[in-house]
Amino acid sequence: MDSLDLIREFLHDRLGVAPEQVVPEAALAALGVDSLMMLELMFEFEDRFGITLSKNLKTPKTIGEMSALMDRLRREKSAS
Amino acid sequence: MSQRRVAVTGLGMVSPYGAGPADFFARLLAGESAVRMLRTDDAPRPLNLPFVTCPAFDPETTLGRPLAGTMDRFAQLAMAAAFDAWADAGFERAAADGEDRDTWGVAWGTALGGTLAYEKGYRELWQKGRERISPLSVVLGMNNAANAHISIQLALGGVSMSHTVACASSAIAIGEAFRRVRSGEAPVMLTGGSDAPQAYGVVRAWEALRVMAGGDETTAASACRPFHADRNGLVLGEGGAALVLEDWERAVARGARIHGEIVGYASTCDHSHLVRPEITGQVRALRATLADAGLTPTDIDYVNAHGTATVEGDSTEAAALREVFGERASNLAVSATKSMHGHQLGAAGAIEAIITLLALRDGAIPPTAHLDAVDPACAGLDHVTAARRDQPLRAALSNSFAFGGSNAVLAFRTVR
Repeated sequence: MDSLDLIREFLHDRLGVAPEQVVPEAALAALGVDSLMMLELMFEFEDRFGITLSKNLKTPKTIGEMSALMDRLRREKSAS
Repeated sequence: MSQRRVAVTGLGMVSPYGAGPADFFARLLAGESAVRMLRTDDAPRPLNLPFVTCPAFDPETTLGRPLAGTMDRFAQLAMAAAFDAWADAGFERAAADGEDRDTWGVAWGTALGGTLAYEKGYRELWQKGRERISPLSVVLGMNNAANAHISIQLALGGVSMSHTVACASSAIAIGEAFRRVRSGEAPVMLTGGSDAPQAYGVVRAWEALRVMAGGDETTAASACRPFHADRNGLVLGEGGAALVLEDWERAVARGARIHGEIVGYASTCDHSHLVRPEITGQVRALRATLADAGLTPTDIDYVNAHGTATVEGDSTEAAALREVFGERASNLAVSATKSMHGHQLGAAGAIEAIITLLALRDGAIPPTAHLDAVDPACAGLDHVTAARRDQPLRAALSNSFAFGGSNAVLAFRTVR
């Protein structure tokens, strides 16, 4: 499963967001992701992909930013 | 400041019988027990005891997945009951044009808060060996989650309080809400209580107190026997109940249906022992409530007793009622409806406030079920052992007496 798929699955499970709405340019806030849900989403990522997000992470604003961040962290993890 | 009359214009409930307050009350009048055996797959020793659940309540269907997902079950029960009471009062969830809700508030009772969420976290940490738990754990577990969600969903900008006083939690929440409306501080208050005590650790803790009734498949329905000579303890249950309290003149002006009037409230503390109740503390609460309401013992036609079916609790309450009501006590209709709906801890006071209001409104008294042999220590009252209908009731009390020695009594009157 890639990062975008996981975001789609999470938003569908928690918010009932249709997968086709979860596109890179979509704003997370517009899909109903508030600060609490962002924490949940990051927790899910850490769990599923075995990565650790920095506490000083700049919060992504869009689906594209979120999935790019996750992809980068996963690449770094597999390279280390 | 002159005191205002306080109308009850909305009632809502998550009931073990599956429907709202009217159905719940009809089941009680029919003497129908909601107590069943609760069985779990918990290790090392599964739960297997008489309990009351609300099996028809599906939070995701009722509240929607996004909202339900941010709540522990106690808050889900609260939210569902609050939505129902709000609709029953004729209010929309969003403020209407020109409707200023900045002083409308919430007072909510819960004895336990989100113990299911906490327990889930403990299992993750200690059973599964994980190093961290859900980032929602704090906001799921906190005791004020229920009132916070209610304030958010109903756009209430006034006070938002949680009251945690064990078994008197929601009676005290209702009483404190009543005072705010009566004083003019808030024109409308949403109040009530909820609890979901089926967490494994919570049930085991209650069992350790040796106050829980035992039973099996054939005896569970009659396991809770308040005032009975052979009573042997309480039956825990989950539930949520909500009331809308409203400035009487405001309610009349908007043509609201008024279920009844709340006229008095008092709370006292025994200040003597954590779990052993005292007659004197309960007597002071009963008398202070009557005084607060401007009523005398002869005005009261029904008392919904706290009556949990513990040996000491029931006899103490009966003695307190005899002392306050004197010669009238033997003609004072008393029932303990926990015999059928169990003890919902922080929700019990609100559930029983609704029962008391409906008894007055409908002129019908639900019974203490299974009471075929009154304990002599609980005698001297008119125990209602079968439903009484067509009763011209004028005023009634609802008692809630808590571990910790806190006592709360609410007084209601029929609409006039």
